[in-house]
Amino acid sequence: MPMYYFHLYDDETIVDTDGTDLIDVGAARDHAAGVARELTANSTDFLDQNWSGWTMRVHDESGLELFSLAMSNFGNGYSRR
Amino acid sequence: MTTAAAQGHRDNRLLAALPADTLELLGRELKQVSLQQGAILLEPGNPVEDIYFPQTGLISLLVLTRSGDTVEAATVGREGAVGLHGGLGGRRSFTRAVTQIGGRFSTVRAEHFEHIANGSAPVRDLIMRYTEVILAEAQQIGACNAMHSGGARLCRWLLQCADRTSRDELLLTQESLAQLLGVRRTTVTLLAQALQVRGLISYRRGHIVLLDCKGLRERACECYSIMRHEKLAPALGLLF
Repeated sequence: MPMYYFHLYDDETIVDTDGTDLIDVGAARDHAAGVARELTANSTDFLDQNWSGWTMRVHDESGLELFSLAMSNFGNGYSRR
Repeated sequence: MTTAAAQGHRDNRLLAALPADTLELLGRELKQVSLQQGAILLEPGNPVEDIYFPQTGLISLLVLTRSGDTVEAATVGREGAVGLHGGLGGRRSFTRAVTQIGGRFSTVRAEHFEHIANGSAPVRDLIMRYTEVILAEAQQIGACNAMHSGGARLCRWLLQCADRTSRDELLLTQESLAQLLGVRRTTVTLLAQALQVRGLISYRRGHIVLLDCKGLRERACECYSIMRHEKLAPALGLLF
């Protein structure tokens, strides 16, 4: 299965060093949304910076960016369920 | 019981809290074992046949959902035991007990422990007191899992693990951490990377080193402070 990498960007970059095997880009979008919900659940900031400035960018094995998510669209301090 | 074995058993604080003659009596049945990370000691519904007292390792009690997801309900290190309620008679496990950090453990057959407990008020009292503590912890972790962020919970867990194993170097995969926290492995990867970027931990191939415990405490949720063994038991009116 192809590997996808889910990196976070603001003024800093948080690298997904290991990646995840997923069947296709659709699964990668679902996975990205799930990770975004988990990261933002009950949380207003990340590394002392508000989530509103962070973006998740998803890359394939070759490093090509496939899509991105604005973290401000998730959580906002609400429960992840 | 040899001196070395006796000292090993006393590395567990529950066993150390027993009267010397009771520990001597129990010591004839106590064994010391080494358990590897990942060893499953109990599954939900299984009878409690052995009781485990960590000396240097750590056991996680995991709740399993029907979809196969897991989340940790309690963490047991040298301050506690798994299966201790087996000393009250035939009991079954509610959770999966898995060795999260490998190490040395004291173990005794539940039926032997029950026999000793039947004749020892201090042992029965110890069982009841510890059961109250683990119940309080499970309640706190339930609230923590519902109310606190993944990052704060990860900091809390790392600090608890270090306290309960007396180590600041932990062998733990991201997959294991994901199962404990009830999140995806990618989430753990990103949270751990964030802590590393801030110099709070180093994380290489399943080897975590806590570099800045003060910084981790500042980022941990309040549950870490509440559940510290030396605070929680007295807060419940209990002494060990």
